[in-house]
Amino acid sequence: MPDLWAALPATTQDILFAAALLAPGLTLGALVLRGLRPLPLVTALLRRFAPVNALFVVLIALSIALGVGLLAQERGLRQGSARAAEKFDLIVAAPGSEVTAMLASVYLQPSDMALITGPQYAEIAAAEGVAFAAPIAFGDSHRGAPVVGTTADFVTHLAGPLAAGRIFTTETEAVAGAYAPVGLGDTFTPAHGQGPAAEDDAHTGEGYTITGRMAPTGSPWDRAILVPVEGVWEVHGLSNGHAPGDSHIGPPFDPALMPGTPAVLVKATGLAETYALKTLFTRPDLMAFFPGTVLAQLHGLMRDIRSAMSLMAVLTQALVALSVLTGLMILVRLIARSLALLRAIGAPLRFVFAVVWAYSAALIGAGAVLGLAAGWVTARAISAIITARTDVLVTATLSWPEVHLVAGFVSLTLILALLPGWLAVRRPLLADLR
Amino acid sequence: MTPDLVVENVQVTSRGGQVLLQIPRLTVPPGQSLALRGASGAGKSTLLHVLSGLIRPAKGRVIWGGQDIATLSEDARASFRRRTLGLIFQDCHLFEELSAQANAALTAAFAPRPDRAGVRQGAAHWLTTLGLGQTGPRLAPTFSGGERQRIAVARALAANPPVILADEPTAALDRTNADALGADLAALAGQRTLIVVTHDATLAARMTRQITLADGHITEDSHA
Repeated sequence: MPDLWAALPATTQDILFAAALLAPGLTLGALVLRGLRPLPLVTALLRRFAPVNALFVVLIALSIALGVGLLAQERGLRQGSARAAEKFDLIVAAPGSEVTAMLASVYLQPSDMALITGPQYAEIAAAEGVAFAAPIAFGDSHRGAPVVGTTADFVTHLAGPLAAGRIFTTETEAVAGAYAPVGLGDTFTPAHGQGPAAEDDAHTGEGYTITGRMAPTGSPWDRAILVPVEGVWEVHGLSNGHAPGDSHIGPPFDPALMPGTPAVLVKATGLAETYALKTLFTRPDLMAFFPGTVLAQLHGLMRDIRSAMSLMAVLTQALVALSVLTGLMILVRLIARSLALLRAIGAPLRFVFAVVWAYSAALIGAGAVLGLAAGWVTARAISAIITARTDVLVTATLSWPEVHLVAGFVSLTLILALLPGWLAVRRPLLADLR
Repeated sequence: MTPDLVVENVQVTSRGGQVLLQIPRLTVPPGQSLALRGASGAGKSTLLHVLSGLIRPAKGRVIWGGQDIATLSEDARASFRRRTLGLIFQDCHLFEELSAQANAALTAAFAPRPDRAGVRQGAAHWLTTLGLGQTGPRLAPTFSGGERQRIAVARALAANPPVILADEPTAALDRTNADALGADLAALAGQRTLIVVTHDATLAARMTRQITLADGHITEDSHA
């Protein structure tokens, strides 16, 4: 049986699991309503106490939205951060923290890193299986946007063809990320450093002109300004990596004249070569790592937090289910007189029970659907905020885990709704009728 | 077929053991119209509730057509009420969100499937008979007090029950509407047994028999 289950496509498994979660509640509903037509009366009761019912539905919806939003957001953040690292096959840096190197080179978080020397870079660039090796030199900024020195190959690799303009061809030209706060033709002087500590006048007299704009990548690079790495070296008063009189930009660099770079993105000719290069450059004077692997390790460390969040979402739903139950019992008191009339004029207890259950089911169902929609909207809104703050494109969408959560909640509350039904038929008929 | 009613040694007590109703014997032949009269708290409504099975007496038998409903389960008593009794309350107890026709045909919602069409037809017939024929689709709140009580009467008659039990049906109506409704109810007698709890002397005078209660006992039983 486990083999059969494992052989099923993932979507089929999800559909079957959702159906299994819903089955107890729906089966119960079919049994309760079998042969009865309580819908007109349920509709009448829903309309009679419309404001109270609407409030109840909204409360259910909010609680579901919270759980759904939490799950969708966590997954969206995880997927967004992974997507941002997709283009970074292999990073080579000076020995140190892989996490720090990844945060700096992939997510452009400010950090101090030791430099790879010119000869080391030359060895990397010349290694067998390297399609290109792009230096990534960060540390400057402009209006809060990181200014990163690299090569034209890297720009094309990262974002494909430019959305506008052309690639930089001189040390004083730059390409803006999709959402960088500069326009085509703008000229700017970079500040030294990033954030509040950036020194605006450290590079006075030096500057870049924007010649192109990248297409969006869904990563922090969308707010960066990419310049030839030679330009970064020059504004810092260093050699530009080429012999005097050599005006070309980009590799090859003269190992003796190259000032160094914090990190190198290595694009290999194939998957096997990528692994071989990682092995080759994992040594005492260099550190090579897959950003995707480091990210997976980070996500692995956060698995407990994720589990805790999932547990919180489930516990929240359980508490809400109990609140729903309490609320339903209060609502039953509101409709007690109508139920007493039905009993007085000959309605069987099973019919009265079905009216209460169907009334509860209508509120729960409406709350669940509304909650699912509200959860989606909330997740999208929070995603937009996170994207704006981190530049990591987070697109939280509803997926099967949320459907499973709601299916479980609906099924559980439909079962719990038996209790108000049972209490309703045990109420004193005459007292309610008066 | 209209059942006769036999009440034998019925006693209803409060939770504290106080005797609320004590009826050694009462018989009502099929088709009789009967007014239950008396001061407030005399036991009129309690007797009506016992006769309808809404209250199970502490002692005694309530026999409709040979069947003692005091021994039936709650569901069986509900079934008995649906098949045999048409109940009319002082407060007409309409579903405000439903139309006159839907209110009058309310028992169709839980009647056995073969009976449902008949209930709906009966509701339409009685609404027409009671002067509300063109108002079926209108919602309950759009009707006057007298009209609402007529809708309640149509609901009680929709399933064509052989017995009508009415508890102060004219108490909330003005004189004109009370008289009109009283005439409608009196017209039902003959083919149906009609038992009405009322303080309304005019309505009581329309009944062929009047029983007066005091302190839970029958003190007077007179025939017109």
